[in-house]
Amino acid sequence: MFRPLQLLALAVALPLLLASCASHMSWPSEPRAIPRPARLASTEPAPTPAEASRFLQQATFGPSMGEIEALTRSNFSSWVDQQMATKQTLTAPLIEPYYKALKKGENLKQDQYFSAFWKTSATAPDQLRQRVAFALSEIFVISMDGMLDVKMRAIANYHDMLARNAFGDFRTLIEEVSRHPAMGVYLSHLRNLKEDPVKGRVPDENYAREVMQLFTIGLQELNPDGTLKLRNGEPIETYTNEDITGLAKVFTGFSYGSFERADQDFHNAGRNPDWEIRPMVGYNQFHSGSEKRFLGVTIPASQFPSADDDLKIAMDRLFNHPNVGPFFGRQLIQRLVTSNPSPAYVRRVTEAFNNNGAGVRGDMQAVIRAVLLDPEARSAASLKDAGFGKVREPILRLSQWMRAFNATSIAGNFDMYNTDNPGNALGQSPMRSPTVFNFYRPGYVPPGSMVAKRNMVAPEMQIVSESSVAGYANFIQSVIDGGVGRAANNKRDIQPDYSAQMALADSTDRLVAHIDLLLTASQLSPESRRRISEAVNEIRIPANNPTQAENARRNRVKLATLLTMVSPEYLVQK
Amino acid sequence: MSHNTRREFLRHSAALATLRAVSPWALQLAGIGAAAAASDPRDYRAIVCLFMRGANDCHNTVVPLDRAGYDGYAAARQDIAIPRNELLPIKPGNAQGREFGLHPSLAPVQALFDKGNAAILANVGPLIVPIKDANTFRSTTIARPPKLFSHNDQEAIWQAFSPEGAKMGWGGKMCDLLSGMNGKHTFTAISTAGNAVFLASEKTVQYQITNSGAVAFNRLAAKDIYGSTKAAEALRAQIQSGASAMGGEVLAQEYGNVVGRSIEAQGLVSAALAKLPENDARIALPADLDKDRLAQQLRIVARMIGVREDENMQQRRQVFYVSLGGFDTHDNQLAKQAELLTSVGKSIAYFQQAMEALGVADKVTLFTASDFGRALLNNGDGTDHGWGGHHFIVGGAVKGGQLYGQFPEVALRTSTDVGNGRLLPTTSVDQYAATLGKWMGVSRSDLPVVLPNLGNFASADLGFLG
Repeated sequence: MFRPLQLLALAVALPLLLASCASHMSWPSEPRAIPRPARLASTEPAPTPAEASRFLQQATFGPSMGEIEALTRSNFSSWVDQQMATKQTLTAPLIEPYYKALKKGENLKQDQYFSAFWKTSATAPDQLRQRVAFALSEIFVISMDGMLDVKMRAIANYHDMLARNAFGDFRTLIEEVSRHPAMGVYLSHLRNLKEDPVKGRVPDENYAREVMQLFTIGLQELNPDGTLKLRNGEPIETYTNEDITGLAKVFTGFSYGSFERADQDFHNAGRNPDWEIRPMVGYNQFHSGSEKRFLGVTIPASQFPSADDDLKIAMDRLFNHPNVGPFFGRQLIQRLVTSNPSPAYVRRVTEAFNNNGAGVRGDMQAVIRAVLLDPEARSAASLKDAGFGKVREPILRLSQWMRAFNATSIAGNFDMYNTDNPGNALGQSPMRSPTVFNFYRPGYVPPGSMVAKRNMVAPEMQIVSESSVAGYANFIQSVIDGGVGRAANNKRDIQPDYSAQMALADSTDRLVAHIDLLLTASQLSPESRRRISEAVNEIRIPANNPTQAENARRNRVKLATLLTMVSPEYLVQK
Repeated sequence: MSHNTRREFLRHSAALATLRAVSPWALQLAGIGAAAAASDPRDYRAIVCLFMRGANDCHNTVVPLDRAGYDGYAAARQDIAIPRNELLPIKPGNAQGREFGLHPSLAPVQALFDKGNAAILANVGPLIVPIKDANTFRSTTIARPPKLFSHNDQEAIWQAFSPEGAKMGWGGKMCDLLSGMNGKHTFTAISTAGNAVFLASEKTVQYQITNSGAVAFNRLAAKDIYGSTKAAEALRAQIQSGASAMGGEVLAQEYGNVVGRSIEAQGLVSAALAKLPENDARIALPADLDKDRLAQQLRIVARMIGVREDENMQQRRQVFYVSLGGFDTHDNQLAKQAELLTSVGKSIAYFQQAMEALGVADKVTLFTASDFGRALLNNGDGTDHGWGGHHFIVGGAVKGGQLYGQFPEVALRTSTDVGNGRLLPTTSVDQYAATLGKWMGVSRSDLPVVLPNLGNFASADLGFLG
């Protein structure tokens, strides 16, 4: 219902209210200041081109040759420092023009977010932040597959929230995840009502369960190195169903961001479409006032319960649980570096989580440095370890192609589409996981495999199948040949620039070495390099027809790229 | 026994012999399976697991219709109780005249039930040992499945008796024992819905098929690519090199193995399926199911069953896995569940009709499963995680029109209520699986290989299959 007077009153009261409710009515533009140890000028040696490429494949959506060369004149720590000082690129402003142009009855489209994602991944200068945000989106999962199917402002805002907190602190991150309306819709704690003993209604337990199981502490008590704590030889569960029931009461009374927090605001977002991009706020009148017991904490019963105060107690309790460091740290290692980190590696990341060097817990910058600069991530020895690395997930293969070949968008927006279909696309689209358990689970073990026999995990193998391996190979073949994205005038919107490679193409060896460095960090086996060179060499470059010669050079680049991007040394990132 | 089958059988026996230390029954089992096959060359049986991911709300799927039963249900469910007059009545032949109502979206299942082609198994769920009542569950340390009420773990436990990370499921273990009867082992276990631990086992590797069949690698046989005559050969070598030439790289080898299976199977599948195209009247989808996510999966299952005797297949025992997601109805349950069960009901009916058209209705049994049932209490407009649930078994071999297991009292604080109306199961998944396994030809002495806790339960045959 449209109420002009009320809106006017709101507009008048806005500055005042903003001052008092700032933390709950809008997202902070800057993360909270965190005491950090002073950064000294790094004395690390400069990496080789292969070391630089390997690092950038873990820390970004894929390197360009220019970025590899730049890093060989610097070092890893300095690069991270510089990235952490780089201004955040936002996706929300890419969605807003579509939103403003909507006519009555129209909805935003998922392609609009896909385009924003690919444009940002391919071109944003804050690559480390964006890459970590993507990793976070696979841990703190929401999905447009379901109730959020047209809520692209919420999705983009959530993306930006993750990216903002990527270099902030974990405590703020989990609270902003918990208060985000996209999460509130996805895990149904938005408009979650307190219990009603008369009607026999109980609070929705969905978020209380998943915030523990998936976002913070996991199911079983962990040692700092990520191994299971045992009691009488058995794992120890971190919580019981009673803890969930208790915590579920905390997550009652949260709903649409509103200044007045009136009953109708709780129930109905209709009057303010910006609910999608505002943090949820506590409505005490719908918040449970009964005693809340969880994880050893008791919030006493109260006639005047405060949803916001109770949330703070719950978030503090979860944040300070000793499981968070190894539980979250191990997953971040898996997303960026390797599926099966050693316990010592996990322990080092946990130590960074627990203390950033200035006594602060949960400093994301310290955690990211620990993950990326760890000897296990960087050493040449791990390259020789047959169990090291991870299957490069499909989204990262395509983003890497875009960045390696400086892809540009004809329309300017990176006009992309849903790439869910494993039979003819990637089998994965950003922010479109089938469930809150992500595209794949961190503990996934391919049945009947060597991975299983060795008691290893291979998360990304969960989306690898007899159909997807062929679907990917065919898709990437088509992308390398003709670009990607929606076509206009028979030309796909996102086009590569192969000119740097074409300049090398007269020498097969130089071309293959260049592409090997760019795409696999020079990890192609000698047999692969030989095979690719021989096949590429078969494409003759005519001496006296410049147009045909350019075509032949382009074809050499395409073939070398294709034969690299379907090779096991590429598909498994080490 | 044809030459080929015999060779496969010997190879199979040899492979199993190496497992003897772990499973002394295995070798003997394989022998029994193969002997049965030898006696009847047209012998065929398949089970199809329809997994409702996210946990279907059992309490709104099958509802007691007698006055006391319905009133208890309505009192507990409040706003999300389905009105009594909207439920679709069924009268199980073995329920002493007691009436039940199916969810209003399940009219096709009601029809199958009335025709005797569908049965209900009430309150089934994972158990390690029988648990007498809710009080025993609460007040003792009696053995229970780990990680109750957690989606991913209970999904794995339903399928494989062990939480997430489980390596072998009971569908896959059955395949280990039965695949010796098949010409092409690759197609013993088939999933249309990703890598399901249900179909995983020591020896069995599930084949993941798309709704339209197998996907071929393009240009592997091209004369030239970009003018290079060596390119196609190099392409094939590059995509396959993970399996062999990578010096034991674990992940590359695993990826390469999938590629190898993909190439090998695609030719066989495509050749076989060409003989039963999607528009064949026997298996074509009706217009209203043409875009249905579940019906499309069941169509490819129907096609694979239709070509089971093709020289590229030679199947006698198969286990299929299909699934539909979205059942986690914490909110907006009335609308969401209705939409999902509409798909389930229509798709099941389509599949049964296709099996009849292919003349294999009595050789194929479809059964439902789900992460868990849901709590009886409502949370506003949805429900939370439970444990036991009700399931359907459909097919020509099913002794239908009956309700198996014990239908629970639908109320709070009953002997099966472990909290908020979460049902303590009175029948175990092991018993459900054993009944299906026995029908598939796994002998009684071999069932414990597949179902390690079976011996803890009174009956290994619930009687719903002939």
